[in-house]
Amino acid sequence: MEKILEVKNLTKKFKHIAVNNISFDVEKGNVYGLLGPNGSGKSTTFGMLLSTINPTSGSWKWFGKEGTDTNTLKRIGAIIEQPNFYPYLSAEKNLEIVAEIKGAPKSRIDAVLEEVNLLDRKKDAFKTYSLGMKQRLAIASALLANPEVLILDEPTNGLDPEGIIQIREIINKIAKSGTTIIVASHLLDEIEKICSHVIVLKQGTAIYSGSVDAMSNTKGFFELKADNIMELVSVLESFGIFSSVKEMDHLIIAQISTDISASELNKKLFENGISLSHLQKKRESLETQFLELVKQNNL
Amino acid sequence: MIRLLKLEYLKNLNYVPFKVFAGLYFVILVVLLFIGLIDFDIFGQTINLKEQGMYDFPGVWNFTTYTVALLKIFLGCIIVFSICQEFSNRMFKQNVIDGLSREEFIASKLLTILVFTAFSTFLVFVIAFILGKSYSTTQDSHLIFKEVYFVFNYFLKLLTFFSFLMFLSVLFRKSIFVFLGFFMVWFAEKIIGGIEHISIIKNVNDIEREKFLNTHTFYSDFLPLESMSRLIPSPLVRTKLAQIFGIEFKFVYPWESVIACLICATVFIVGSYWILKRKDW
Repeated sequence: MEKILEVKNLTKKFKHIAVNNISFDVEKGNVYGLLGPNGSGKSTTFGMLLSTINPTSGSWKWFGKEGTDTNTLKRIGAIIEQPNFYPYLSAEKNLEIVAEIKGAPKSRIDAVLEEVNLLDRKKDAFKTYSLGMKQRLAIASALLANPEVLILDEPTNGLDPEGIIQIREIINKIAKSGTTIIVASHLLDEIEKICSHVIVLKQGTAIYSGSVDAMSNTKGFFELKADNIMELVSVLESFGIFSSVKEMDHLIIAQISTDISASELNKKLFENGISLSHLQKKRESLETQFLELVKQNNL
Repeated sequence: MIRLLKLEYLKNLNYVPFKVFAGLYFVILVVLLFIGLIDFDIFGQTINLKEQGMYDFPGVWNFTTYTVALLKIFLGCIIVFSICQEFSNRMFKQNVIDGLSREEFIASKLLTILVFTAFSTFLVFVIAFILGKSYSTTQDSHLIFKEVYFVFNYFLKLLTFFSFLMFLSVLFRKSIFVFLGFFMVWFAEKIIGGIEHISIIKNVNDIEREKFLNTHTFYSDFLPLESMSRLIPSPLVRTKLAQIFGIEFKFVYPWESVIACLICATVFIVGSYWILKRKDW
């Protein structure tokens, strides 16, 4: 797989350590989530990779080339922290400036504005835009030069549910076109819905880097319910394929240790004289996995 | 370079206040050049700068450049606001992320400064020449361009001054601090100059004092603002009124100040770049 970005031992010290010796790779065509609570070093990491912050130590390669120069930046589309535009200029004029810097053709301006549904407001000054429109304009600006990688720092921060859905749809559309995306967020379900890979940061340290699926090493769990709870528990325990069987909120939670499908389990239980009123196989949500990871890596 | 100019054009000339005030500057500049045609009433005495020799060759170059150089703070404000808004709107950071290098950013601001300075200098040259041709009492060909170097000094003065303001803008990033910083430097220069003069002069006796002051070179003469002001001396001593009082105009071309200004401008430009490079954005 072609590597878009390779980060090695990246460190940034301000007065405190903001980013501590993190390493990760980004492969072409995937959607990466940079996950971590506020102040975990997400924006600082992006700042270094985008050449606005000088790293204390460490190195990285964009497209196999050491560091970040202006030609590299022209192949990247990025929005950081908040949408930055000249407030007194219209969307169109603002994008003309970006096109001039990136060397993109002016004809792209209408195309990207169309893509984020802002074409009819292109003559209006940026300062008259709502937050959702500003965020969408930022995405349009990042898409202007047909970037190979898109970097989005908290793209849905402060948006209302409708705005969040709009942004998510745009990101999904871009991801389908094969553009590599790195998106930072502290919103777990955000990452879960759009990312295939995730890098988890905690206090500047990367505590996990890999696919979302492999993040948790558990095989998932069953939620079960039957009329006779006591009997259900003892039968489940007798199978020997669950690491634990617990009752929680009138549901039996059985952690799987040897993989088994829901229909197979249903059949086995029926053979043992138990008819279920509820059966569902589940994986831990990203949130539980994340909290689990953070707990394991208590620094 | 064309690209950078276009960028500055897009950023600035679509901004109405910028356009209005820049236009106003040039209008005021032109009007100020014609000030010699107006009669002033001072203490019941009518003073007319034209009558005082403002438009006489070769002094016209000194008079006009000195007068319009007073306006430079006006253009300076426009430049300071234009640079500071890049930082307050976080546009410098965004420009860098979009792929504009720090060198290009400084170069684009420098180009704006050069364009304004060059245009201002050109206007002064052309209008002063026309005024001299129309009103000068002498039209001797060897006198016409005798002191035209004041036009070059005017260019250098503006360039150094705006480079200084650019440096302060990059350093402080908020226009209010830029102006405070500017006045601090101004006061500091006056104080340093004053201390140096007093400490040296107290060893010189009264009789030689005046001659000494005119010939001795002080270290404080090389401070940025002092160097700039030495490029164009006050032309008031050249007026006919001053001559009546027996004041003599003596002027030696200030090579030291020219070199000091060139060095200062270079330091300010390189310094601005250095700050952009070093700081985390």
